[in-house]
Amino acid sequence: MLQQDSYKQHISAQFNAELESVKNHLLEMGGLVEQQIGKAVDALLNRDSGLAEEVIAGDEQVNDFEISVDEECFRILARRQPAASDLRLVLAISKVTTDLERIGDEASKIARQAVKASEEAASSSGSFTEIRHISNHVGEMLRHALDAFARLDVDMAVETVIADRSVDSEYATAMRSLVTFMMEDPRTIGPVLGQMWALRSLERVGDHACNIAESVIYLVRGLDVRHVEPDELINQVEDK
Amino acid sequence: MQTHAIDIQALKRDQAQSPGQASPAETSLRMENLNLFYNTTQALFDINLEIPRQRVTAFIGPSGCGKSSLLRCINRMNDLVDGCRVDGRLLLENEDVYDRRVDVAALRRRVGMVFQKPNPFPKSIYENVAYGLRIQGINKKRILDEVVEKSLRAAALWEEVKDRLHESALGMSGGQQQRLVIARTIAVEPEVLLLDEPASALDPISTLKIEELIYELKSRYTIVIVTHNMQQAARVSDMTAFMYMGKLIEYDDTDTLFTNPEQKQTEDYITGRYG
Amino acid sequence: MKMINEQDLHSERAPRVNAWVRSGEPLIWLNAAAVSVSVIAVVGLLLLLAVRGLSHFWPADVLAVTVSYQDQSRELLGEVVEEVEVAGVQLREAGIELQGPGPYYKRTLLKQGNRDFLGTDFTWLINEQFGERRLPPDVMVVERLEWGNFYGYLRGVSRFNAPEVTVAADGAAATWQALQGLIADTVAVREEIRHIEQVDIGAINYELERLRLRERRLELEGGLDATAAADLASLRAEQEARFRVLQEQLYVLYDSIKDHSYSAELADGRVVRLPIAKVVRAYQPNTMGVFAKLGMYSERLWEFLTAEPREANTEGGIFPAMFGTVLMVILMSIIVTPFGVVAAVYLREYASQGFITRTIRVAVNNLAGVPSIVYGVFGLGFFVYFVGGELDQVFFPAALPRPTFGTPGLMWASLTLALLTLPVVIVATEEGLARIPKTLREGSLALGATRAETLWRVVLPMASPAMMTGLILAVARAAGEVAPLMLVGVVKLAPTLPLDGNYPYLHLDQKFMHLGFHIYDVGFQSPNVEAARPLVYATALLLVLIIALLNLAAVSLRNRLRERYKSLEH
Repeated sequence: MLQQDSYKQHISAQFNAELESVKNHLLEMGGLVEQQIGKAVDALLNRDSGLAEEVIAGDEQVNDFEISVDEECFRILARRQPAASDLRLVLAISKVTTDLERIGDEASKIARQAVKASEEAASSSGSFTEIRHISNHVGEMLRHALDAFARLDVDMAVETVIADRSVDSEYATAMRSLVTFMMEDPRTIGPVLGQMWALRSLERVGDHACNIAESVIYLVRGLDVRHVEPDELINQVEDK
Repeated sequence: MQTHAIDIQALKRDQAQSPGQASPAETSLRMENLNLFYNTTQALFDINLEIPRQRVTAFIGPSGCGKSSLLRCINRMNDLVDGCRVDGRLLLENEDVYDRRVDVAALRRRVGMVFQKPNPFPKSIYENVAYGLRIQGINKKRILDEVVEKSLRAAALWEEVKDRLHESALGMSGGQQQRLVIARTIAVEPEVLLLDEPASALDPISTLKIEELIYELKSRYTIVIVTHNMQQAARVSDMTAFMYMGKLIEYDDTDTLFTNPEQKQTEDYITGRYG
Repeated sequence: MKMINEQDLHSERAPRVNAWVRSGEPLIWLNAAAVSVSVIAVVGLLLLLAVRGLSHFWPADVLAVTVSYQDQSRELLGEVVEEVEVAGVQLREAGIELQGPGPYYKRTLLKQGNRDFLGTDFTWLINEQFGERRLPPDVMVVERLEWGNFYGYLRGVSRFNAPEVTVAADGAAATWQALQGLIADTVAVREEIRHIEQVDIGAINYELERLRLRERRLELEGGLDATAAADLASLRAEQEARFRVLQEQLYVLYDSIKDHSYSAELADGRVVRLPIAKVVRAYQPNTMGVFAKLGMYSERLWEFLTAEPREANTEGGIFPAMFGTVLMVILMSIIVTPFGVVAAVYLREYASQGFITRTIRVAVNNLAGVPSIVYGVFGLGFFVYFVGGELDQVFFPAALPRPTFGTPGLMWASLTLALLTLPVVIVATEEGLARIPKTLREGSLALGATRAETLWRVVLPMASPAMMTGLILAVARAAGEVAPLMLVGVVKLAPTLPLDGNYPYLHLDQKFMHLGFHIYDVGFQSPNVEAARPLVYATALLLVLIIALLNLAAVSLRNRLRERYKSLEH
């Protein structure tokens, strides 16, 4: 079982510092990505093309973060041959960076939709309710996943994984309503398709947040809970 | 300390292994409540352990944790120490090694041992390998030639030394010497091979050769290895036992032990934390 | 600023002597001095022995000189042995009138030989009394079996008491040739006689003694009936018949040389007639060239090494002593090595390392410090009288009351020295055993070898260099030991070698000669100290060389073993 400060207890202080550094970088990256998603959704909701451009430009930084965190992970693997919890930490960080980078990509996709939406005339703004709703939900998931990582909090991670299920169902509902919308008024097909893309991106963000939460469970408990049903997941986590 | 049920472990490992190697992992050595005393000091406490046949089992742990002592219990090397006493049972193929009727020399032929520092005898390469047979009174040249070649081949040394079999073994490199010692040990056809930090005195390349050799030998022998080098244990072993202060802390298959150990002491040890 | 710095430097300077001591140089000098002293001592010792000992064999020139003292003058012939300066006072106190002014006078020790005519063969002369020193070419030195050297002028040779062939003015060379020819014949005949006496008659005597013992044994066992007696008598008669034949031969041989003689003129003009049968060799040193002298030198050196001593050990060779020394050392080695090794193996390998073992080890170590004469006493009391006496009672009752082993002899001497050197071998072997890496033993045991097999196949071969070291030390000590040997078997003159052609070839019960004791005997027990002194040096040198040789042999063997079993250092 991994504890909060366990990576500070190595005999090698240098190793402690390296692990702490890579973890902090990851969390920093997480913060940045969270921000990106928030901004992208805001840009979309407010048709703020300026903000959207900012998000698109910011993705570069996320990519840089991914590369540097990965490099740190490789360096630790090569030089320290970590075992057990350290190994899991490094592997989890490596996976989480990938997820975060993907989330960053989704943010820039949403931002692109926002740019497109701002170019089109203001159509019915009511259709953004689904996006607002899901984005809130997904944003919370992402925050929880990152918090769980920062605090090594398995319970929160489990909640996040389970929350993904409701996001999925909300997404399905939203898609259905948007399809209905298009069928009712074919002129809206263009803008609504954009919204659907954004929704799809948000749903993907939720999946990645879920992956991050699963990584946290793996990191803390050594349990591989990918592709496990929620009930089973809870059982397994409680078993340990 | 609970006894680890071996069949579950075997199942897990068989899943992990390539299909070609899926021989049933039965228990070769079983220790039941084994205690070891040096005079009044207790060195091992209630060890319960089942070592599977034709697998590599590694003992790891900090210096003085009793892993070498445990290894030396298996072929009764501890008998040589004054004031050494063992209680509990240590079964080799269901025979108690510490039974009074056991012939220690015969036991040691069944349980070969390789030591930390290469210890070839100051004789020729050939005579080193033939030593165990000569002890048994086998002196026919034809048989000796055959066994020497077979053993040296098995120890991946034949190609390197076949032209200088009658030169002194002391002229070999450390890694070659250690492989010679392994050849010497397997020449008497043991069932179990005990390796007491076999590579700790060798350079990394020689170490890798020894590890490769261990991997090849495990299809025929039950191998128990004591090592200080955790990476080595992780590389070569199927099962790993972590010992601390004379107690068996954790025994599990190597994959599990090195990625997700159950005990905090194990975790601390293998990740290099303050215990 | 600069000024201040300089002052600082000066104030920190320590007194020069202190610095010198701290540099460690005095210690280095001390060490070097110690080593130098040791080297000089060893080299000096060897040089002294070599110069004093080896020069004895050089055929020195013979000086003819007229010595005048208080209106009397006499002619002297002889070799100059040494020249020393003495204080005049000392000489005057001895009642000698001195002419010269100086407080110091030179004095010469002249070896004038001719003990049978002059009484003493060495004489001190004061140089100022010397007249002219001459080296007459025709002066002759004769080495004789008795009475020491003869110095004089050859005047004639007589063959079978025939009328003398005298030296004519032009016949000197011919006479000299005749003398040499006769000497050569005589020497050959003497060699033959010696062979018959020592080998053939020795064998017969030995056989007769055995017959006597057999008879006595039968007598003791009550089995001496008529047939056995007749049997023995016939055997004895056979031997006696052979003996008579040999005796006849001897008579003939003796007769063949006894009547040769030569006449010679002494320095004082007397002419004497002497038997050639007693001559070893004759030579004219003043006419010999360097190569001739070298030839003579090696001949005499060879004689020293190979011949038996004569004239109470002051002349002749020392072969029996050399032989005895080497044989005794070899026997001692054969006894002490297995014994010491077995003891060491037990102490190191089998005995539990407790209080008792430690006590034994201390005792063994201390045994090495016991004075050797104590061992001699022990050997005499225990081995000779007790064990030897018992052996005689049990195995050689026939010879009693004459003891066989109940008297000092080669075996007891070897045993005593073996006991004396035992601690050395034990300690050295133990050290060797202790140095063998534990892993090697374990390696052997782990292959299913028992402890005994491990010991025999791995440990002992590896400890063999250490055993050799022990043996080297033992040999070095034993070969030089004299005191205990005087009690347990060494004599000043042994009639036969302890190893000969008579069954059982090696006679462990015999007494033998030893170089160390020979030195003591020749140097301090000899009737003729001056004559014996060079031999003391030569014998001492030989003893040192033999010990060195034995040691070198053992060292080279050890090095070979060490190379083979060199330890497993990487």
